[in-house]
Amino acid sequence: MSKFKISNSFGQQTRREFLATSSAGMTAAAAAAATASMPGSAFAAKKKGGTLRFSTRSDARGLDPQRNVIYYVSHPLAATSGGLLDIDKNMDIVPAIGEEWTISDDMKTYTFKIRKGVTFHNGADVDAPAIKWNYDRVRDPKTSHSFHRSFFKLVKEITAIDKYTLRIDLELPSAVFLASVTYYPVNLIAPNSVDQVDTHPIGCGPFKFVSWKRFAKTEMVRFENFWQTDAAGNSLPYLDAIEGYPKKEDKVRLTALRTGEVDLIENMSYADAANFKKTQTANYNTWDIPQVGCGYLAVQSKTGPFAMDHPNGKLMRQALSHAIDKEAIHQAIFNGLSESLNGFYGTASSWHMPDIKNIKEYDPEKSKAILRKLNAMNTPVAVVARQAYSYMHQTGEIVYSMLEEAGFKVTNEVFDNPVLRKKYKKSDYGVDSTANSYRFEPDQWYSVNVLSSGPSTKLRTGYKNEAADKLIVAARATKDKQVRMEMYTDVESMVNEDAAIIYTHGIPLTSAATKKLKDYQPAFAGPFNISNGGVRTAYMEG
Amino acid sequence: MSDQQLQSRQRVDTISPDDTPFAIRMRRIRTVSRNAFDELLKSRTATIGAIMMIALISVCILTPVLATHPPTKPNYRIRLQPASADHYFGTDKFGRDIYSRVLWGGQRIVLISIAAVVLGLALGIPLGVFAGFFGGRFDSISMRFVDGLIAFPGLLLYLLIITVAREWKLEGFWNDLILVFALGLNTMPEIARLTRGTSMVESKKEYVEAAHVVGENSMYIALREILPNIVSPLIVNATVRLGYIILIIAALSFLGLGTPPPTPDWGSDLNVAREHMESHPMIAVYPGLAICYSVLAFNLFGDGLRDILDPRIQER
Amino acid sequence: MLIYAINRIIQIIPVIFILSVLVFGFVHALPGDVIDTLTATDGEEDPEVRAALEEEFGLNKPIYVQYFIWVGNALQGDFGKSLVTRRPVNIELIERIPATVYLALVGIGLSIIIAVPLGTLAAVRRNTLTDYSAQIVSLAGISIPEFWFAILCILLFALQLGWLPSSGYAPLFSEPGKSIWYLILPALAVGFRQAAFTTRLTRSSMLDEISKDYVDTARSLGLSERKVIYKYTLRNAMIPTITISGLQLASLLGGTVVLETIFSWPGIGLAIYSAIQLRDFPVIQAGVLVLGIMVVIINLLVDLLYRVLNPRVGMG
Repeated sequence: MSKFKISNSFGQQTRREFLATSSAGMTAAAAAAATASMPGSAFAAKKKGGTLRFSTRSDARGLDPQRNVIYYVSHPLAATSGGLLDIDKNMDIVPAIGEEWTISDDMKTYTFKIRKGVTFHNGADVDAPAIKWNYDRVRDPKTSHSFHRSFFKLVKEITAIDKYTLRIDLELPSAVFLASVTYYPVNLIAPNSVDQVDTHPIGCGPFKFVSWKRFAKTEMVRFENFWQTDAAGNSLPYLDAIEGYPKKEDKVRLTALRTGEVDLIENMSYADAANFKKTQTANYNTWDIPQVGCGYLAVQSKTGPFAMDHPNGKLMRQALSHAIDKEAIHQAIFNGLSESLNGFYGTASSWHMPDIKNIKEYDPEKSKAILRKLNAMNTPVAVVARQAYSYMHQTGEIVYSMLEEAGFKVTNEVFDNPVLRKKYKKSDYGVDSTANSYRFEPDQWYSVNVLSSGPSTKLRTGYKNEAADKLIVAARATKDKQVRMEMYTDVESMVNEDAAIIYTHGIPLTSAATKKLKDYQPAFAGPFNISNGGVRTAYMEG
Repeated sequence: MSDQQLQSRQRVDTISPDDTPFAIRMRRIRTVSRNAFDELLKSRTATIGAIMMIALISVCILTPVLATHPPTKPNYRIRLQPASADHYFGTDKFGRDIYSRVLWGGQRIVLISIAAVVLGLALGIPLGVFAGFFGGRFDSISMRFVDGLIAFPGLLLYLLIITVAREWKLEGFWNDLILVFALGLNTMPEIARLTRGTSMVESKKEYVEAAHVVGENSMYIALREILPNIVSPLIVNATVRLGYIILIIAALSFLGLGTPPPTPDWGSDLNVAREHMESHPMIAVYPGLAICYSVLAFNLFGDGLRDILDPRIQER
Repeated sequence: MLIYAINRIIQIIPVIFILSVLVFGFVHALPGDVIDTLTATDGEEDPEVRAALEEEFGLNKPIYVQYFIWVGNALQGDFGKSLVTRRPVNIELIERIPATVYLALVGIGLSIIIAVPLGTLAAVRRNTLTDYSAQIVSLAGISIPEFWFAILCILLFALQLGWLPSSGYAPLFSEPGKSIWYLILPALAVGFRQAAFTTRLTRSSMLDEISKDYVDTARSLGLSERKVIYKYTLRNAMIPTITISGLQLASLLGGTVVLETIFSWPGIGLAIYSAIQLRDFPVIQAGVLVLGIMVVIINLLVDLLYRVLNPRVGMG
């Protein structure tokens, strides 16, 4: 065992003794020691590195990762994210700072063994007390975003048993709690950096924050003490720096790639994607992200003609569902790049459920028949959508026409998010054309949006189905994936029949980069800061 | 004989001792109008502008007859098709007929522009007349208010008004009404200042005092005397403003504050057409051309009017 | 003159005051709950948390109290903290305002450099090909929607020709070379439109001047045509041009949102627009107020400049 003294560049901690006890750390240390003294070593050969210029559609809203959702698909700042557990290329949960864990038999206690020697960007230790501090901060409504907070709903108590062991006790048994401690949702920050969290955040991810010029540029550099190494023992990541450039205009972002001003872009417009893939493959790589999210229609079923407790509510909702032509949406909005969905997960996901039952699709005559029978022709329906996402309000536009054809009296409105939330609260809408980003843990979708006590369910649809509720709660406490899939299949069949949520489409995404970017493979649902791909394994050639 | 001499001759010819000042005025306006028409023909800009404008307005009026398809009816099997006998301008990304959309969109946008300018005039003229004529406290306060409005940075005023109004449950018509209100509100300051300037000048003239002595109501004097004098610059201003408003509406659509879909709107259509700009450029051409044409028409006509009416202003 | 200037400066104060009231009022009329945005609560709301946040941001006081607190702090240069980024609003603004001013100034400057020679040439060579070409180009410039023109520029100059960067920004004082490089295309987009407008204005002013008596006099005195044009008429024609360009600059400051979005130019327009969407009240208030004050000051300077250049107008 060798000891290394590391004086860190931030000068915040004066002396640290670096004890490399884990095998990975040993290898790294040994390799470093060995190569440092040998001139003709493998290290002296071409070192992977380079600066990646990454252009995205949106910019981060703020730097505090627990108050702002730093979306792991499209905010470059997500490269600085680090959490207890990681996600890999297949959207599976893998060890990271949490090396091992045990789950009690009653599934109410999770105990994590923390990897030794991991530090934050300023040299502070990432240990159990630090992680506990982070999770407590996320659980406090005064300091966190509800998205992050919702993942800790079931938590009863968090205890740092010793420096490297963390125990979490839950109120109810859960087989899925691991998903709550990955870096997305909870990105760890150094407790002693909380005062500067809005101006210069200190995390523990593969890249360090350098500067943020809002709307213009985000700068990040490689974190030299990142805990992860590659198979040969070289410290990850390879890239020296990442520069993020937010460019809202699709055409402008694409032009920046084609002129060589940036190296990587995400979110190519659907209209451009098909053409680009055909004509530009000589100089560019593209990555199809088949399902970055799931598009669906949320029917307001708390009050009004579609309400859950209205005697005709179910038939009316089914009338809505029969009127939707998913193929039309497929072609018109997504240019044929995605797939229509019967449930939350598309075919690219390991959670795809092929046996879901659905009521008859696209039969406007049936809608009209229902409306006539119930004497409900020209029932007013307010279609709403969020301004910020064009596929949402464009889908709303098509849905408007389809519902009109089916005999409803439709209005169409597009709103900013704050106004939309107000409308949700007041139940002041009919059908919301919306989408949800991919959830690698199904419970995160079902218990939030389908379970009748779920926060989004209560806010938006007001969906209530006891049988589905029972299945969702049971699935949460079931370890066997196959069994869970069967349970969720039944839930989805019920959802389709009740039609308070009408799944329409997988939301695809196309990213593209110059061929000089090597070994960059985002996860199939889009995240680029993953354990075995993305920006951790990428490097620039030349 | 020069025009001026001809006119004087006409004026002298038609005045008789029994004519009231008002009758003289009216006759003079009639003469001016008749001469204006001759002048119009002489100015090439004005003629072209007038023809373009008349064509535009005729098309707007005749839209229900000229349109071939309902503008909001989508048909996914005929998306993005080129021009054909059935669809003169082809179809857009939802399969809707572009030709009909341009027609209905035109009717809507021209109506909104005209309504907004009329609102601006309706608000600005009285404000300016009273401010200029009566002066004093009212003048100071209202002009500071107007200056405050002018200082409000351009587009942002619209952003705020429309964002505020979006909240209320509104169907197409009410949305348009808010747009008219916002645009009219932004037109008002300029009109008020223009009117104020002229009415201040007029209020100091002798006939006002004379009217006072005779015992006529100052309000009546104000309107009767001032209005004919401000007509010229106002018409020019209003016409040019019409074109400008169309561009503002296009910009608002770009920012996502235009009318919600699927109402036909040149700005929105142009905005959405950007996606397919490289593969199907023609979808963008038609609404774009429509915008350019209308703005040009109003600008040319306004310019032409300025050419005609200015000499008359300088004459006085 | 001095007295007039001081008078005008004093008159600004009530305008700014009214502006601040307008801004504050509009912003607080925005629908959408601040607390809700802050916490983004999904339905469940802890009244304690709401109370704590309202306390922190002073939202529990009556609105006029909030206004006075805001004004009081603003006079000391404290505009509060952004609700979204939680950084002081000053940071948000200080980085943004120079970018917009920089773009607007260079844009207007470019427009004058292009428009004055072009307009003069068109006026001097009236009804020739030069004149017609200039007119056509400037008519095109004023009738194309801004965002459309900007995108076409990018596709042409950046993508097809590869001469200029498509978008981006670098601050002037730290990276002057790069900064100017990124500035060219956006400034061109701004400048072209302004140039179109200014060209027509210059042309018509020059035409007016040329037709005046003193020109004939100068010619008959034997002065060369060149001297007549450039020394006398141009100088006089410049007065309206410069003053209107100044006013254009003022109105430009509030209207750059569209171009800033397209060129990813991190200016104040973009910041305020984003703040409006996110209901970031402190930023909206501060941004609009600062912009408004700048507009008022520019208008004042232009007014004074005009009276200096054109003593005939006087101080009335």
